[in-house]
Amino acid sequence: MRLKVLPPTLRKNNRYLTLDIKSTFPIAKDEFVNIIWDVCIRFQGECMTSNFNLWVMKFYEIEKTDEYIRYKSIVRCQRDFTENVRSSLALTYKYNGKAISITTVGLSGTIKASQKFI
Amino acid sequence: MFFDLNIKGSSLENNIKLAEQASEYGWEHINFSYNQNDFQNALKLKDELNDSLNSIISFDYTLEIKSTNINEIRKTVNKFRDRASCISVIGGNLKVNRAVLENIKIDVLSRPYLKRYDSGMNHILAKESLHNNVAVELCFKDILRSYLAPRAKIISNFRDIFTLYRKFDFPLILSSRAETIFDIKTTHDFVSVFKQAGLNDDEINKSFITAGDILEFNKNRKDLIFKGVRRVNDEA
Repeated sequence: MRLKVLPPTLRKNNRYLTLDIKSTFPIAKDEFVNIIWDVCIRFQGECMTSNFNLWVMKFYEIEKTDEYIRYKSIVRCQRDFTENVRSSLALTYKYNGKAISITTVGLSGTIKASQKFI
Repeated sequence: MFFDLNIKGSSLENNIKLAEQASEYGWEHINFSYNQNDFQNALKLKDELNDSLNSIISFDYTLEIKSTNINEIRKTVNKFRDRASCISVIGGNLKVNRAVLENIKIDVLSRPYLKRYDSGMNHILAKESLHNNVAVELCFKDILRSYLAPRAKIISNFRDIFTLYRKFDFPLILSSRAETIFDIKTTHDFVSVFKQAGLNDDEINKSFITAGDILEFNKNRKDLIFKGVRRVNDEA
């Protein structure tokens, strides 16, 4: 049996961050989920990260060059913690000893609106 | 306006890549920094770089002096003062920190906390910085490229500098010191990291204004007769 859906006033307010990701190695969506959780927990701590309500909604490969592979992603987080999430993600520079860079290029209230940054 | 006075300059191709990426991420002016040995050669690239980046982003050069010898720093500053739009000296050594903040010809003391267990600044140096208008520079890359305990210590050093900054109001600038396109972030991300470190919006905006003022001041430096007196070409 599924839980009944909460009324709108009791639901969490979400924001959607559009991320620009450059990495020197190929990334799968599951791996990307690990990367963003690791970096948030490392920079903000476990207690603070529990507020973020992080969820990877979309993940696209955009281009491949000799230097890097470029991805874009839409990540959900809770409304009042966007600055914390942005700063944590901006401080990613390595994963498993290989270079990676994440930066936020857009912030919107719906997934549909965040598609325009992709 | 978003200024970054310290992006590590290298070859022409790499500089163009960095500038294009910075422009895409919202930066409006960048300065490529070269040390005293490479600066002369870098000046030769300027025209080519200007042609490539003409409509993309405005740029200039920073001379970044790395030395622990105070006499050498003084001589290098005198040699390059007219050719560089910004002169910064890498800090970390207490004697260098003090000598730089007492020299009115230098624009920026970069990273006074480098390789130290403290911030490298105290109330006396803060007053000197204000008196001689030498800005203190904090680099984003120092947070980005460190992790766990070293990162926590660097952020702690930043906070010590912020405390002095709030009391003495000396010029403070924030820069990325990016070497590759992986180190360049959007302006909003850059601001949010420094917000997390303890600065507020007004202080961050002021740091960008300070960076702009340094460039503006150095454009007119040759007309400066002495402090407070400047030759003007306005006949009216």
